[in-house]
Amino acid sequence: MNHTYVPIKLRTGNQMIAEGAVKAGCRFFAGYPITPASGIYKSMIELLQRKGDLAISSPDEISALAYCVGASLRGYKAMTATSGPGWALMIETVQYALMTETPLVIAMVQRLGPSTGGATQGAQGDVLLTEFCTSGGYTIPVLCPSTPLECYELTVLAFSWAELLRTPVVILTDKEVGMTTESVNYEQLQLLHAADRISHLQKPTNGHGKAKTYEFTRLSDIPKFAPVGGLIKVTATGSAHNKSGELKKNDAETLEVLHHLEEKIRLRKDGLAIVKRDVDPEAETLLISYGITARATEEAIHIARKQGKKVSGLHLLTLFPVPEKQILNSLGKVKRVVIAEENLSGQYRSVISHLMKTQEVIGVNKIGSMITPQEILKEVL
Amino acid sequence: MTGTIPTPTTFITENCAMPFCKGCGHTHVLRKLNDALMKLQIPPSKVNLVTDIGCIGLADALFETPHTVHTTHGRSTAFATGIELADSVLSDSKLKTVVLIGDGGAMIGLLHLVNAALLNVDVTVLLCNNFLFGMTGGQHSAFSPMEFITPTTPDGNIIPPIDMCRVMLDARAEFVARKLATDKDLGDVLAEAIQHPGFSLVEIVELCTEHATTKNELTGNAIRSVIEEQGQEFGILTNEKNRAEFGVLYADKNPRDQAFSASQKDDGLIPQFESKLKHQVGIVIAGSAGERVQSAAKKLCEAAVMSRLHCTQKNDNPVTQGSGFSLAEVILSPHDIFYTGIETPDAVIVVSEDGLNELYEKHVFDRLKPTTMLLIDSSLPKPHTDANIIEYPFRKEYGGAKAALKAIELYVQQSGLFPVEAFQTS
Repeated sequence: MNHTYVPIKLRTGNQMIAEGAVKAGCRFFAGYPITPASGIYKSMIELLQRKGDLAISSPDEISALAYCVGASLRGYKAMTATSGPGWALMIETVQYALMTETPLVIAMVQRLGPSTGGATQGAQGDVLLTEFCTSGGYTIPVLCPSTPLECYELTVLAFSWAELLRTPVVILTDKEVGMTTESVNYEQLQLLHAADRISHLQKPTNGHGKAKTYEFTRLSDIPKFAPVGGLIKVTATGSAHNKSGELKKNDAETLEVLHHLEEKIRLRKDGLAIVKRDVDPEAETLLISYGITARATEEAIHIARKQGKKVSGLHLLTLFPVPEKQILNSLGKVKRVVIAEENLSGQYRSVISHLMKTQEVIGVNKIGSMITPQEILKEVL
Repeated sequence: MTGTIPTPTTFITENCAMPFCKGCGHTHVLRKLNDALMKLQIPPSKVNLVTDIGCIGLADALFETPHTVHTTHGRSTAFATGIELADSVLSDSKLKTVVLIGDGGAMIGLLHLVNAALLNVDVTVLLCNNFLFGMTGGQHSAFSPMEFITPTTPDGNIIPPIDMCRVMLDARAEFVARKLATDKDLGDVLAEAIQHPGFSLVEIVELCTEHATTKNELTGNAIRSVIEEQGQEFGILTNEKNRAEFGVLYADKNPRDQAFSASQKDDGLIPQFESKLKHQVGIVIAGSAGERVQSAAKKLCEAAVMSRLHCTQKNDNPVTQGSGFSLAEVILSPHDIFYTGIETPDAVIVVSEDGLNELYEKHVFDRLKPTTMLLIDSSLPKPHTDANIIEYPFRKEYGGAKAALKAIELYVQQSGLFPVEAFQTS
């Protein structure tokens, strides 16, 4: 018996999100059960409790996210997981996290909506609801894995972004990514470094440290973090505030803070873009895809090329900030852009179609079951 | 990370102008809170005030030295709970968190109050009850007395007020008190509540001089009898220490720094068999809940991985989980698997009537090709299909609980995907 050990395991996307979170240093998870996200909750209970870290049930989704915000304010990396109906309840608190610049990761495992919808049916119907849930439409980074490996890697990254940018970050998957078990080769996992938030040195002058809770110089700067309970006084608020965290109405500094909340993300948008490009320079058709539908799209590209068709693929692993530069750079000779997504109105298509100035933009849309490679192929000329 | 811990001289900003109306109880409450914190001499960096929305929510701006977290309406206790959970389990459990919430917010956040009490986290809630929503024009709240006149109860309130202290007692809170904002010993009671290890709530009944007094015959002296007429009591209603704080109990159950990696079950699968499979195959397995259909499918996947194949598995069952059909869809491939659905199965395995009916429902038999292997239990009616049907008395020979497992084993044998030993090993 002389076998080479290959660490291949059977894992769901949900399990890999949990493992990625722990790898990233997440020490706090509050959860409320909801299909198809419950696997993350269950895995986090197993992984964190075993270490003496905190994984706890909450009495509802509002509490789950509020507990996470609290833990993050106290200085710990925190995550929760939910699906559309739970997300609907969390939106107020997502806005609070954004306004208070509280690092936070939320795994959103989509299911068929609207309302209670279909608990065990996948969908890509919450793309817009996830991104545009804030009053003012502030940019929330959204990462969108399509495989268990990507679930792990993008979760590690989500924590880094949340921590470094002091913002809520969403990992957007769906039932088919979250609940399908797949063989995962752990040797293929990228050993990512998970960043920590940039904190003040806890060295007070005059006994009690003073620092503005939301201090920045340039609009895009990230304020240094101080935990509630540390030696530097924290003044956190979800109301419009100046850099000191004082509630203010329409004064210049308060408006500057509001600009800063968007600018700190917007200025970094090219660096926050991750795409997989599969370009044929001669192709006149480009298939843009994300999430579960990217799997069908990749298979469609494979089949199309076997049939001698020239086609390019652009798989978006981040949806927001919109990877505009990467999309524009992929257009080349393309005359026709096809975007398959499991919603009726073409939610992401509506966000990016303005980038296609001369190309025809075609949606492949369906709800109730996964879009098949054959359904996408029909649109490849 | 050390620093000199100062001796606090005040928590509230010295000489700060109170933003409240003349005679408003909030001014008393905040001064008494300052007295309580002074009495306890907690370092300001270990004091955290979490404020709700409404007039009392203005309090955070008045405290210069403690941490303040101004939150959303009704949710203050939930944020406070998160902070304290992290403090008690992940940190040194030295932080004292005080929530300032009004009667309006307390009803929105009823769930959070109940849960914080049940958890017994070290949060002290000061519920400032002035019977109405003061900031938005004096609308009645769940705490308004019967016959109370407000813009939203112009003819008098007909809904009895909630007794939040009693709710907290039922939620197993171990420190619950009801006081008047004008009580001389309020500061002492607040100090006791804050010092209490675990959850505590003090309902402070007070007068909204702007809205409560114009249409109601209500004065500072009268509010005591208003409460008592509702059958609600004043004073410290309970002060016990029978239950440990959440953080203590949690740490007992989940001690820190166990040999984490050692205890983690390594469920990696070692490739030790060879597969002849050249193309991707899709296998649908259908049976009844409780008959180990999905776990048998998992064994198939494990065997495939041990035979150097890639795999995906999707399960389906009714939401009740323990009844009706149970379905598994397995894809095996020598290459990466992209699309994880199965359009035309290469094999279908049916071992019970529930499973058969579900496959009819999904029109699976319409999609089969002549090369599809349909393994079906002999007890079941054969569907009309182009597939190559193989029947076998799985249920009769092995019973319901092993029928799926044995049917998959037969499929592995018949198809020659990989050595049947791989399946038996998994």
